[in-house]
Amino acid sequence: MSELLGYVLSGLVTGAVFAVMASGLTLSYAATGVFNFAHGAVGFLTALVYYELTAAFGWPTWAAAVAAVAVFAPGLGYALHRAMFRGLAQAGETAQIVGTIGLTIALPALGLWVIELSGGLLAAADATALPRGLGPYPPVTVEIGGVGLDSAQIMTFCLAALAAAGLWAFLRHTVYGLRMRASVDRRRLATLRGIDADASSALAWMLGSTLAGLAGVLAVPTLGLDATAFTVMLFVSATAAVFGRLTSIPVTFAAGLGLGVVQNLVAGYADFAENVTGLRTAVPVLLLFAGLVLLNRSRERVAGSASEDAPPPDHLAARPAWRRRAPWVAATVALLAWTFLADGYYAGIAAQGLVLALIFCSFVVVTGIGGMVNLAQASFAAMAALTCGWAFSSGLPLVAAILAGVLAATAAGVLVALPALRLGGRVLTLATLALALLADQVLFQIDAFSNGTIGWPLPALGFGFADTTDPRVRVVLLLALIGVIGLLVRNLERSASGRAILAVRSAPAAATTSGISAPRTKILLFALASMIAGLGGVLFATFKGSITATDLPAFAGFVWLAVVVLQGVRRIGGAVIAGIVAAAVPEILSSLDISAHVGAILFGTGGVILAKHPDGVLAQLADLRHRARAALARRHTPGGERPGGEQPPGERAPRPRPTVVRSPGEAPASVRSPGEAPASVRSPSDAPTSVRSPGKVPASVRSPGDAPAPKATGHVEAPVFALESVVAGYGEVTVLRGVDLVVWPGEVVALLGANGAGKSTACAVAAGDLPVTAGRVRLGGVDVTAWPAHRRARQGVLLAPEGRGVFPGLTVEENLRTWLTDPAPVYDRLPQLAARRTVAAGALSGGEQQLLTIAPALVRPPRVLVADEPSLGLAPLVVEQIFALFAELRDRGVALLLVEEKAAETLRVADRVAFMRLGRITWTGPRAEVDPDRLTAAYLGVS
Amino acid sequence: MRRQALMGLVVVAALVGCAAEQKAGGGASGAAGSDGVTATTIKVGGVLTKTSASGYSTKDAEIGARARFERANAEGGVNGRTIEFVGAEDDNQDAAKGDAAAKKLVQKDQVFAVVPVHAPNFGGAVFLEGAKVPWFGWATGPQWCGTTTGFGYNGCLAPKPGAGSQTWWGNQLADLAGGAQGKTVYVQTTDSSGSKYGGTTISQSFQAAGFKLVGVNSGLPAAAPPPDWLPYVNKIMRSDGGAAPDVVVSIIAGTKFNTGLYSALKKAGYKGILTDATSYDAAILKDPATAQALEGVVAAPMFEPFESTAPEVARLRADVEKVAPGTTLTQHLAIGYWSADIFLKVLEKTGKDLTRESFLRTANSGFTYENPGFGRIEYPKDHTEPNGCGALVKLVGGAFQVAENMKCFDNVPLK
Repeated sequence: MSELLGYVLSGLVTGAVFAVMASGLTLSYAATGVFNFAHGAVGFLTALVYYELTAAFGWPTWAAAVAAVAVFAPGLGYALHRAMFRGLAQAGETAQIVGTIGLTIALPALGLWVIELSGGLLAAADATALPRGLGPYPPVTVEIGGVGLDSAQIMTFCLAALAAAGLWAFLRHTVYGLRMRASVDRRRLATLRGIDADASSALAWMLGSTLAGLAGVLAVPTLGLDATAFTVMLFVSATAAVFGRLTSIPVTFAAGLGLGVVQNLVAGYADFAENVTGLRTAVPVLLLFAGLVLLNRSRERVAGSASEDAPPPDHLAARPAWRRRAPWVAATVALLAWTFLADGYYAGIAAQGLVLALIFCSFVVVTGIGGMVNLAQASFAAMAALTCGWAFSSGLPLVAAILAGVLAATAAGVLVALPALRLGGRVLTLATLALALLADQVLFQIDAFSNGTIGWPLPALGFGFADTTDPRVRVVLLLALIGVIGLLVRNLERSASGRAILAVRSAPAAATTSGISAPRTKILLFALASMIAGLGGVLFATFKGSITATDLPAFAGFVWLAVVVLQGVRRIGGAVIAGIVAAAVPEILSSLDISAHVGAILFGTGGVILAKHPDGVLAQLADLRHRARAALARRHTPGGERPGGEQPPGERAPRPRPTVVRSPGEAPASVRSPGEAPASVRSPSDAPTSVRSPGKVPASVRSPGDAPAPKATGHVEAPVFALESVVAGYGEVTVLRGVDLVVWPGEVVALLGANGAGKSTACAVAAGDLPVTAGRVRLGGVDVTAWPAHRRARQGVLLAPEGRGVFPGLTVEENLRTWLTDPAPVYDRLPQLAARRTVAAGALSGGEQQLLTIAPALVRPPRVLVADEPSLGLAPLVVEQIFALFAELRDRGVALLLVEEKAAETLRVADRVAFMRLGRITWTGPRAEVDPDRLTAAYLGVS
Repeated sequence: MRRQALMGLVVVAALVGCAAEQKAGGGASGAAGSDGVTATTIKVGGVLTKTSASGYSTKDAEIGARARFERANAEGGVNGRTIEFVGAEDDNQDAAKGDAAAKKLVQKDQVFAVVPVHAPNFGGAVFLEGAKVPWFGWATGPQWCGTTTGFGYNGCLAPKPGAGSQTWWGNQLADLAGGAQGKTVYVQTTDSSGSKYGGTTISQSFQAAGFKLVGVNSGLPAAAPPPDWLPYVNKIMRSDGGAAPDVVVSIIAGTKFNTGLYSALKKAGYKGILTDATSYDAAILKDPATAQALEGVVAAPMFEPFESTAPEVARLRADVEKVAPGTTLTQHLAIGYWSADIFLKVLEKTGKDLTRESFLRTANSGFTYENPGFGRIEYPKDHTEPNGCGALVKLVGGAFQVAENMKCFDNVPLK
């Protein structure tokens, strides 16, 4: 019994470290939507700083810990936020995953490189480095309940508990915590309440990094300065985070504690598992997989929301086929010529690059076309190679063995695809990660399969006249194979299956209702991709002459993915370049005598590039060239299509308008041929998350004649709020086509119009939620067009959005506090809310929610209140109450813009009325002048 | 993951056929013509794990080899040729990079032989064997064994079943403990096939010396040290019929693993002998807690300890001092030094007419060489089994002392 107690108690200590790390992971994911694979690397780097401070600078451990955890870690988090995470949050999932995986490689390498550069000034961080923990040193042992715990363990547990309590208090009881939770709950709404969601994200990253750093410093005495060990710890923590469904920090924390205990119990009692090598090591991975499949069925994206993954524009679409292919043909010829002229060594490197390229082609299929991120690709390659080696050694002819290997990988791919049917996005990625680790830790440890550490020998592939011992033969063979796969991929994209895949990718729900079988297409993709990876793996092994279980470790798959995505994962060309780069860069670095760490840093920092150009280097280059060409074309046609027209020629880089305003991750405009005048098009901003800094607004916004003076209606002072010739829309769809609207203080303007007239878009533009293509927004005479939503909100523009403007996950009290410092007056005014102050807003009735939306404005009246369909879905009695509140606000001098489809109630409070139709204001006038004819015209389009 | 490759360091393993049966596959496109030998020079370069994600590094082997080559050159070279040592490539403990490094040395730098090779996960074996390029180093992995070109300085440490397996560790320890009769031994490995295989050979070594084996546990996670040692320590403390064993052998590489295990054992009241193959490292003594955890540990180096009074060790010290003054002597340094030493001996025996072919013919037809520094080596016999020699050092009062000098024992067939 005391043994069991001992396992549980000391397991809790271990679990506390997992819990701290996992909490940071969950926090940053929940707050920003980016699952940070580099969380462990941040912990490692912080631990490294801690170690250097103690070992190289002789700081006391506590001071070093404070400096590392409370200064360095948050600083690193902030720097990463600025450099990467902010951009990644708006990039597609693939870019997010790859970006953070790149960091996992780059951060430790960066730290180790700095140490290397210091030339002995800093303490070496190799296996001889023995970082000490906090507290007494060496640790003192204390007897607790019959169990011996040492001071380091107690310290660890106390600090973890303190961190948990601190985190809880911060999130629950500070205004920053409230803002962060509000941003997590409804990011768009948070910005409309004046919360700078970007700042909240920065804070979340800083906190997350601090937690990772704390876990790192606590773990480093046991783990040592071993970056791999930290990555392993991240995987264990990810398990805890998955059990918390990546949203609940308390559950995550508890799961972390539980994992520590489970590991101890397995180590103590599961002797039956001894015969299966690796099984006990793999317990967290098994739990991770179980947790993913059982708890995390993806709540599928709704139709149309996948635009984040839209392909980049194909600037060469209009060119003839030969012109499009010419560069590739030329490159292939050059490569071949070089191969035959260079000596065997360089030809060998080219062959190595092309083998990798072949494996990389599988990423094009599964990620580039399928939009799924598979981290198990290296395991597929290893699986195929080992199967091939095993089959060959069992006496099968080589060709049959190769086939067996490829088939094995294909079968494994189908097996992996099965969970993929139910999982989507990051959850799928984590599941493939779990499978990759399982393969490494259990499957490849089976001696009968991998032949122990020696692996299987494989002969060269002969063709009668030549065999693959000659690298030139390999290059030719590989080029031919890659060509075949290129054709296969092209046909796949153009076939019915390809269209089905595209349909499933961009809108799973819509695809299903159209009769497209999502599972079938997913299985097809996975099977094809693993077949290609398998073929690559088998050739890798034959060319090398042998294959062992450690030749293609799971971690290699992560690096590969990073390299491919960096080049561009949508085309075979990207994969080929990535393969060459992966083989050539280490060679170039070593011939220049540059540290291998630099290579890792270079690969890793690709993530920073991805944050800005999610489609990779190839697409970026194409885009740059396209812009240059467009600029050139414009210069040659003076007075031609220059947006804005008034920029003097030669002013720096006039760029076509659509690209001017494209921020990373936004869907680019569709295929357009060069030379064609860029349509006045702008992508849908990922509205709530798009944070533009002032000044980034297109220079083309101008109004030469300046504000059209609104028809004076007896007002002496200036209007408090005005839309002037506003043009705005989503993607290629222009919704507002020159809207002019003004509101004076103490006035209710009703904006009426039929469904689809552009009313909600007008609201979004007013609140700064949607950028304008042209025109201006003024607040109290100040041009606020460039202001982001949260800044406008802080200056007094409050939007009560369509639906309910509440944070469903926050309590009534917390909802009020997002706008008010003291909600007490609201309770006096609206007793029904006072009674429910501790209830989550999501649990309120629709009417109560709408009251809650408007209530803060009563206490702290905004200058302008824009209410989008405030009466939607409410009982008549509640509607009356809401409109009474509007009237009260008007009397207090607030300018109100009420947007309604139903005219009756609105007309009762309105002072002036504007009718909207097809993106234009068709009529504005005092309420008195509204008659049934006008109403009919507004709604039915009869004029 | 990578750590399991590290386990190869300690004993390592292959169960089935060694590379002997491999057909030439690695691309034996060796540039004909120059094989690194001129009238006055012999070009040589090595492959080491200088850096790795786990922090494991064998970079000191380069200093050792250089020190030995410098002395040879200072003495006028071998048969009139001096050694042009181009340094060592880093394989990052990555098999594919090791393969690339071997190819670079042979095809681009055009070295005559690859010396020293000291990388636990070396991936260039198949290529070097195919290209008939000699390579010398620490043969911890099965890729060395059964080749005609891979020369382990103390033989092949990963013999196949049926081939000879060492007994020196058990015998030396029995000598130190005043006989093995009635004494019990417990072997701790990690949860990976390489480490498990090490458990088998070491158990056999101790049993051959007369110890009673009371447990072989391979429950330790392979990837990273367990955050909590309690379950493992509990098992050890009860293995001898409820009591603690007399000897605990740790087949785990990595100071963090060993110090963790030893601290936990001491915390639980263990008073017996602790022994492992990797703790003989002066660098880790700088840290007081590590020194405390390791106090009393009996480490088993496979060369004459630096604390020894043997003249060969004194010369090693002087050679190193000449090329890198102030260097701390380490296990890796000694391995590089002795690998180079054996390579030079074969060169000397081959004579003036030097080609790779003549070199390999000399080395593989009854070459024997004895040196108190590493014991004795016999090729081709030691292509398939270890040389059976080793020493013991003990950490007493924060400093290593020679417990048993280098001595060779007869191998027994591996079960």
